[in-house]
Amino acid sequence: MHPPTVDNQSIYAPRSCRLLAVSKLTPQEKLFRLRLEDGRELNHQPGQFVQVSIPGLTEAPISIASSPTCKGYFELGVRKAGLLTGALHQLQPGAQIGIRGPFGRPFQLEALLGKQLLLLAGGCGLAPLRSLIQYCQKQSSAYSAVQILYGARSPQDLLFKDDLEDWQLSTNFNCRYTVDQAPASSCYDGETGLLTRLLADVQVEADNCCAVLVGPPPMYQPVISALHRMGLNGPQQIMLSLERQMRCGVGKCGHCTIDHLYCCSDGPIFWLEEVEHLRGAL
Amino acid sequence: MLKQLNRADLDLLLTQISDEYRLQVPQLLADGTRQLAGYTGEAELSLTGEVLQRKPSAFFFPQTQRLLDIDTAGAVAVPQPAEKPLALFGLNQADLAGIRFLDRFFRAAPADDAYLRQRNGALLIGLTGMAGPDNCFLSLSAGDCDIELVAVKESWLALGHSSDGEKLLQNFPEGDKTQLVRMRHLNEGTAAESDLLQQASQLLIEDRVPDQFWMEIADRCILCSGCNLVCPTCSCFCVQDRNRGEITERSRVWDSCQLDAFMREASGHNPLGTDALRTRRRIHHKLAADVERWGEFGCVACGRCDRTCPTGIGMMAVAEEMVKCFGPGKP
Ligand SMILES: Cc1cc2nc3c(=O)[nH]c(=O)nc-3n(C[C@H](O)[C@H](O)[C@H](O)COP(=O)(O)OP(=O)(O)OC[C@H]3O[C@@H](n4cnc5c(N)ncnc54)[C@H](O)[C@@H]3O)c2cc1C
Ligand code: FES
Repeated sequence: MHPPTVDNQSIYAPRSCRLLAVSKLTPQEKLFRLRLEDGRELNHQPGQFVQVSIPGLTEAPISIASSPTCKGYFELGVRKAGLLTGALHQLQPGAQIGIRGPFGRPFQLEALLGKQLLLLAGGCGLAPLRSLIQYCQKQSSAYSAVQILYGARSPQDLLFKDDLEDWQLSTNFNCRYTVDQAPASSCYDGETGLLTRLLADVQVEADNCCAVLVGPPPMYQPVISALHRMGLNGPQQIMLSLERQMRCGVGKCGHCTIDHLYCCSDGPIFWLEEVEHLRGAL
Repeated sequence: MLKQLNRADLDLLLTQISDEYRLQVPQLLADGTRQLAGYTGEAELSLTGEVLQRKPSAFFFPQTQRLLDIDTAGAVAVPQPAEKPLALFGLNQADLAGIRFLDRFFRAAPADDAYLRQRNGALLIGLTGMAGPDNCFLSLSAGDCDIELVAVKESWLALGHSSDGEKLLQNFPEGDKTQLVRMRHLNEGTAAESDLLQQASQLLIEDRVPDQFWMEIADRCILCSGCNLVCPTCSCFCVQDRNRGEITERSRVWDSCQLDAFMREASGHNPLGTDALRTRRRIHHKLAADVERWGEFGCVACGRCDRTCPTGIGMMAVAEEMVKCFGPGKP
């Protein structure tokens, strides 16, 4: 064994990162702020992900939750879902972990320029979308309007509550969120119902609108149908992020295939028309 | 370049190769099967017979392959390539096509260093012509090897398909062109398997195979994953860590799309959540998805899955059934 050199690189070699800060988002989710140990920027684009490596537990794909316009660090919002994510939740600032990436096809930013944007997130999907929202915030004049709609299961599952408040106060955005159900015991007084309910009273100029969807699989069909009813029927009007099991992130392990596509490298961001005819894609 | 080797020449060639390469040659095992094993110059070579039991591509993409080591400070070390590259002798046309398929897959950007550490510099020596069971004819290669030995009566026509191959052959006597022409004639009659795959592929691409078909095939599957493990173009893997004191060894291990956990996500969502979907995936991926992606079938018709499957639903068997049920002339 010997260290990777310029002519002996490995696509599987994680780069060392330092954990700068950890904050609790919900009982299940934490936000991790990280910096590459070599001092370089991650140089990602919104919508991309990294493979987080913890020796002994292999790797897990995690979307980058911060915009590339944030310098000196990047952030990951992680749900405790199993072994690796559980171990990550135990870590304290100062800890060292590995990452590979950034990987994947990002949100197609150029196609969004000058458009009315409908940014739709369900559950954990707000993490990658946050990267795009922060990015839009930095160059708000590039879009004719930005509407953010977010749905979570319950009030305690709402991610990035501070950000949601900021976005609601921002003149650049129109931001609304909803929860499927609020228990009577909670002091939540916001909107309830599914994400599609929020869509019901959204007004857009259909021809000049582009929707971006990131959420769990059951969210897609109902939301896509609603968008179609609103008149978003053209090409390059609906962009979505697909999730698959990913082991390598670079198109080799085969776990993420969707027909002839590799979700990790041809995606995870796709135009609807690229995948809707592929069996099992949505 | 065309040369002709008698048995003594062949031994000389192999000895020369073994000076510079880790040469693997076909040998007969006690149970009558054939396997590649390290060349010693002593063990008897098996120069004709059935397809090699194990896929030769496993030398480049083995069942378990170390990717790297990580120490407690996060420093990474990658394995060193072996001093001598591999040389594989005795590969038939399908074996070579399988390696070519994997080469393109693993070389596609970003190139897979773990595969290339084994593959780069390796020498491939095809064995075709009258080298099948009872000296029956084996299809000629597509030139995707360094040297091709075409077995003819009591000797081998030797073709150098690469500069390394030509160099190794240069001192051997010229070959008989008329014998090569005869072999090429024989080769023209060997397209039956690919015709069947072509028809099956077309049915899949046109979406003319109903779900009921896959449910019936899936009912016969015993989920052993043998079809994947013996397939020379299957490249799916999972990753495994092993802690040894201060060092974590990270390896990849063959995986199978026929297993329920293959695509199951942490959320529980599973795009391949039924036996029928997984069975369909096994065939569809090779005959339709690979055609779309790489312009070529992912099946090289080596026959290993059909020989291995205990319930008779290997690739050729399924393709045949598909064509019988839905092929030309069927409603
Ligand atoms: C592109 C992409 C981006 C992502 N971004 C994010 C993100 O920003 N934030 C985030 O939190 N997550 C994200 N995920 C999901 C995240 O990758 C998974 O939650 C993570 O891989 C889980 O890893 P783990 O080791 O913690 O869980 P594992 O230990 O692998 O287990 C996960 C859970 O699944 C169950 N499980 C595992 N295998 C099986 C099986 N065979 N059968 C039944 N159940 C099983 C286990 O019980 C466990 O609860 C993303 C995924 C992708 C593909
Ligand atoms: S994650 Fe390995 S191929 Fe996509």
